[in-house]
Amino acid sequence: MAFPHRPDAPELPDFSMLKRLARDQLIYLLEQLPGKKDLFIEADLMSPLDRIANVSILKQHEVDKLYKVESKPAVSSSEQLCFLVRPRIKNMRYIANLVNADKLAGRTRKYKVIFSPQKFYACEMVLEEEGIYGDVSCDEWAFSLLPLDVDLLSMELPEFFRDYFLEGDQRWINTVAQALHLLSTLYGPFPNCYGIGRCAKMSYELWRKLEDEEDGETKGRRPEIGHIFLLDRDMDFVTALCSQVVYEGLVDDTFRIKCGSVDFGPEVTSSDKSLKVLLNAEDKNGRALLLCCRYTGEAGRYKLQFCVRRRGMDIKQMKNFVSQELKGLKQEHRLLSLHIGACESIMKKKTKQDFQELIKTEHALLEGFNIRESTSYIEEHIDRQVSPIESLRLMCLLSITENGLIPKDYRSLKTQYLQSYGPEHLLTFSNLRRAGLLTEQAPGDTLTAVESKVSKLVTDKAAGKITDAFSSLAKRSNFRAISKKLNLIPRVDGEYDLKVPRDMAYVFSGAYVPLSCRIIEQVLERRSWQGLDEVVRLLNCSELAFTDMTKEDKASSESLRLILVVFLGGCTFSEISALRFLGREKGYRFIFLTTAVTNSARLMEAMSEVKA
Amino acid sequence: MDCYTANWNPLGDSAFYRKYELYSMDWDLKEELRDCLVAAAPYGGPIALLRNPWRKEKAASVRPVLEIYSASGMPLASLLWKSGPVVSLGWSAEEELLCVQEDGVVLVYGLHGDFRRHFSMGNEVLQNRVLDARIFHTEFGSGVAILTGAHRFTLSANVGDLKLRRMPEVPGLQSAPSCWTTLCQDRVAHILLAVGPDLYLLDHAACSSVTPPGLAPGVSSFLQMAVSFTYRHLALFTDTGYIWMGTASLKEKLCEFNCNIRAPPKQMVWCSRPRSKERAVVVAWERRLMVVGDAPESIQFVLDEDSYLVPELDGVRIFSRSTHEFLHEVPVASEEIFKIASMAPGALLLEAQKEYEKESQKADEYLREIQELGQLTQAVQQCIEAAGHEHRPDMQKSLLRAASFGKCFLDRFPPDSFVRMCQDLRVLNAVRDYHIGIPLTYSHRYKQLTIQVLLDRLVLRRLYPLAIQICEYLRLPEVQGVSRILAHWACYKVQQKDVSDEDVARAINQKLGDTPGVSYSDIAARAYGCGRTELAIKLLEYEPRSGEQVPLLLKMKRSKLALSKAIESGDTDLVFTVLLHLKNELNRGDFFMTLRNQPMALSLYRQFCKYQELETLKDLYNQDDNHQELGSFHIRASYAAEERIEGRVAALQTAADAFYKAKNEFAAKATEDQMRLLRLQRRLEDELGGRFLDLSLHDTVTTLILGGHNKRAEQLARDFRIPDKRLWWLKLTALADLEDWEELEKFSKSKKSPIGYLPFVEICMKQHNKYEAKKYTSRVGPEQKVKALLLVGDVAQAADVAIEHRNEAELSLVLSHCTGATDGATADKIQRARAQAQKK
Repeated sequence: MAFPHRPDAPELPDFSMLKRLARDQLIYLLEQLPGKKDLFIEADLMSPLDRIANVSILKQHEVDKLYKVESKPAVSSSEQLCFLVRPRIKNMRYIANLVNADKLAGRTRKYKVIFSPQKFYACEMVLEEEGIYGDVSCDEWAFSLLPLDVDLLSMELPEFFRDYFLEGDQRWINTVAQALHLLSTLYGPFPNCYGIGRCAKMSYELWRKLEDEEDGETKGRRPEIGHIFLLDRDMDFVTALCSQVVYEGLVDDTFRIKCGSVDFGPEVTSSDKSLKVLLNAEDKNGRALLLCCRYTGEAGRYKLQFCVRRRGMDIKQMKNFVSQELKGLKQEHRLLSLHIGACESIMKKKTKQDFQELIKTEHALLEGFNIRESTSYIEEHIDRQVSPIESLRLMCLLSITENGLIPKDYRSLKTQYLQSYGPEHLLTFSNLRRAGLLTEQAPGDTLTAVESKVSKLVTDKAAGKITDAFSSLAKRSNFRAISKKLNLIPRVDGEYDLKVPRDMAYVFSGAYVPLSCRIIEQVLERRSWQGLDEVVRLLNCSELAFTDMTKEDKASSESLRLILVVFLGGCTFSEISALRFLGREKGYRFIFLTTAVTNSARLMEAMSEVKA
Repeated sequence: MDCYTANWNPLGDSAFYRKYELYSMDWDLKEELRDCLVAAAPYGGPIALLRNPWRKEKAASVRPVLEIYSASGMPLASLLWKSGPVVSLGWSAEEELLCVQEDGVVLVYGLHGDFRRHFSMGNEVLQNRVLDARIFHTEFGSGVAILTGAHRFTLSANVGDLKLRRMPEVPGLQSAPSCWTTLCQDRVAHILLAVGPDLYLLDHAACSSVTPPGLAPGVSSFLQMAVSFTYRHLALFTDTGYIWMGTASLKEKLCEFNCNIRAPPKQMVWCSRPRSKERAVVVAWERRLMVVGDAPESIQFVLDEDSYLVPELDGVRIFSRSTHEFLHEVPVASEEIFKIASMAPGALLLEAQKEYEKESQKADEYLREIQELGQLTQAVQQCIEAAGHEHRPDMQKSLLRAASFGKCFLDRFPPDSFVRMCQDLRVLNAVRDYHIGIPLTYSHRYKQLTIQVLLDRLVLRRLYPLAIQICEYLRLPEVQGVSRILAHWACYKVQQKDVSDEDVARAINQKLGDTPGVSYSDIAARAYGCGRTELAIKLLEYEPRSGEQVPLLLKMKRSKLALSKAIESGDTDLVFTVLLHLKNELNRGDFFMTLRNQPMALSLYRQFCKYQELETLKDLYNQDDNHQELGSFHIRASYAAEERIEGRVAALQTAADAFYKAKNEFAAKATEDQMRLLRLQRRLEDELGGRFLDLSLHDTVTTLILGGHNKRAEQLARDFRIPDKRLWWLKLTALADLEDWEELEKFSKSKKSPIGYLPFVEICMKQHNKYEAKKYTSRVGPEQKVKALLLVGDVAQAADVAIEHRNEAELSLVLSHCTGATDGATADKIQRARAQAQKK
């Protein structure tokens, strides 16, 4: 079952080429250092590297031993050391320590640093300051796009979110532009471009510049992908903050999907080993299986929470049901039982913490009623010491949906939190405030009439005084108004049948249509931002929404139904599911490009200050 | 035709040599050539003359004039020589004039007499003066070799990348060698010198004596030596009037000749072409020119006036006061066609075409003859090739006409060679023109020089329109052709100091527009090089890529402008480069002020400081009066940087002060609380032992309860105003963890619970203590009673309560808890109650 695509849905381009490109380039770089060498890999790059080149390929190219770049120094006896790292100052320090230690010991070795996806001047600066610039050779591995699924490309840059949205550091924008440039050289130009958000606009402009500088190559090529849509994560924090109930989302929230695969612990595998399972749809069998699981999962909460109890269909029956569908496929059966194990484990966790209550509160926040009750629920959540990240998430959700907390709650919730989880979170709150995730309502702010005036005043004042480009003072989420305008909370008569989803709200069991996806839907329908002026204004993006269409129409109708959606700052599995659903309804195919797959916990962790 | 071969002179049996006039020179020479230092660049390059007053004994009263002419004698530059005595002149491969002074300083001039740069050949040369110097060409560029007064050699193989090499000493050398030359073998420059009857070869390491094989006996001195254009062959002229010719490696002898003239020749150069049949040497005396090769007889010419020989790749140029001639071996194709009574297919075809024009039927006869032999293709090719070797356009035309005529009788003759030849000849004729004066031969230009270099040379002569026309005519891609030339033009334009900045900028923009491949920043860099900073800035405005503007702006010390351009470019690396530049250039205060107006740069720099320069970060915040961030900074320091408790408290105190200044009372209070807590934790550790430091308040209280210090816990809770609700949760959880059920019960009865009693049930159930849990179910408020009962598993009673409440949601909840057979009765009961409720 699992909603097949319409027969006229366009074929997706083959993204495996990206992997081959990355692999060939890496091999080329490794060959640049002939002979046996030890490879030091940054922890964050291990999973992506694994998807590109496994250990045997590395060994073929004379990589002797593999080390992880971490705080403690590694002892390597090789004469040639190769470092594969992200361009971070911390890593430069690590390398510098290693090289300088060798120097002290009078040892000469060859060092090569490969930066992925690109090197930064700041890094070279640090190498120079540490006095080892002449001793190492630097290279770039321009590996910026990892296909996680047939329609999902990830840049695997989780730090993008914090660097840009919190620190205002724009260094990764160039990387995004390069990635887009790569896509357009491989798959033809994008005739229709839309976008919203400051980062989206900058990335887009930078990419255009790249195209102009290197013109002639893509010109005249037939576009394979008809539309591109760039979206900043801060356009829609709400969706990312909600608990996910689609299958992959649940798995991600519970077990953390890392680079497209998930480690199922002993509680799932029902043995004492943990198992790594690839969660994608690359091969056909896997796909059938995954669709099946999606069905069981996407029917989501319904199936997991109620159906099992009320309809009298328990996990055992479900097991039977699914295994019958895939009778004879033993291997898959094994995989499937893993997934069922995962479902069971998720259920155990979700019921223990009273998942229902939580979901109910979230829905109340989204719809904007019983705010008092929700606030005390959050308070109790902290009191019970359920989970620091979860509590933080709920506070942010409350703040965004309500345009900030009222001063009394703001203060008391913060106090409770600080007393519970330590004073360093004072910095966390300062971060959240800066990013506009957790703010305080200005007095008199609730009066809608004065509202716009006040915010305008604040902006005017800000222009002169505030140096911080990311001052959240003028930024107001306006969620309630947007929700009304875009009809994000569907009116439901009777019960929402999750087996027959009607709209994108199904990813949140019918309670809420993801804002980001709704914006994309609306713009695609209109082929521009026309008629959405009010929404754009409410999103504080009056100057930051853009449309760019090429006049000549070389695009085939097939390609016009292929849409590349670029999430700057990460996207969630819920959003992916919602857009996949939209695609099936309208005969589109969406391709997702994200800086990283994210979820609420990851967002909160990115904002948290932790004691080292 | 007879007249055509009139100037052909046979040398031996196989080869002919011809000499024809390139230009009649109308340069107005004031001096005799023999009184001047002369340098002519190869590949039809320019000629430089410097009257040599230093050679004469009498002191120079007037300063000499350095004159530069094109090969056709058009004056290019003339300047008064104001520097020291010059020993030698020479042209580099880039057509720069190198003037070697007596003191070893080499002055470099451009084609138009513009001074470029100078460099010295080292101290040793300076001390011993320059006796003689040669400019030579290698694969790497142009080199200079110098013979010093101490009879030592110093050379540099590439003046572009100056590396001086002092050659080893020649043992027993007391006087200057009678002659010497540079050789280039295996990419290394050597020096060959003759001292009396001996020859020595100098390389970097050693000096070795060499003997040419088969050298005639009786030689007591070598008067002249010549090495060929490609460094393959060597000729030696001895005092017996004997010429030895062989390979430059001195391993093989080609031939020898005895001319019986003992006077030292003025010049001796090779005259050959790649793959030529005959290799010959041209020897020049005052009034006599001799071509000698492997033949008993030589060709002799009489020189009417002072002449100068310029060796070329495929011949020798000879210029004098009035003419400029070219002497070369007649190429095979030409020879075949024009040789008297030649029956070569090309010759027949040319004849056929001529007859055809005369409308004579002989045309057909000739044509048939060629076709019968099946040589028409060859004939056409021959004619095309021969056309390339002709200097006169009318001859070119007649040969090409013949080729085109012959082509008509051929199926599928590929047209490229014909078309290309026509194009090439047009270009060649254009540059050979008297006004341009680059007398290139076909093999020169086509095989050796390439069109790109030819264009460069035109640009060097500032012949921009011609260069552009050639590009357009040959349809070269814009980036390589037209735009490159336009860019050069613009670079020249900015040097015109008499035109205002505005006009220059406008003129350049008008011509260049958005031509692809033109880099405005390069032009601006040139303008800046000429000291026109304002013009450079104007030109940079036209540069579409802001990233390209930055480096030059930095160079021009417009760092702030550079910063905003870098930010515009969106390239953070570029921004960072500018930042570091600014940091060194400005004092700290100004630097921070600049940052303050550039948020993007500021956040970038902050990120860097966070890892590399923490103190700078603090200063940044201080400068900005950003007390909020300053507070945060100290908070971080309180747990990341400080180890001792006093230091931590002090950091927190600073933070609190900063928060007060930032009017962030909340944060200030929270920080003060933390200070209090830290001190308290310290005391607790001292008094009770165990670990308290760094625990949160909540955890501190929990730890106290778990340790049985209830009093202290309550005191702490009161001190820090922990709300009742939370305290109850805390105590409840802690006591349940201790499984101190008695204390828990006591606690529950201490007063009315602010959180109700459902949590009691929950927590007990979590510890799997149903017994204790049940104790509290009765005290749970009515609205939560069902939940509580369900928690302890009492479905039946839950059902009763729910029915009593007549609450649909509760009924459903209970129903969902009914499992299997055990609760069958209860389920029925609920269903009944529901039905009843609906009836009502």
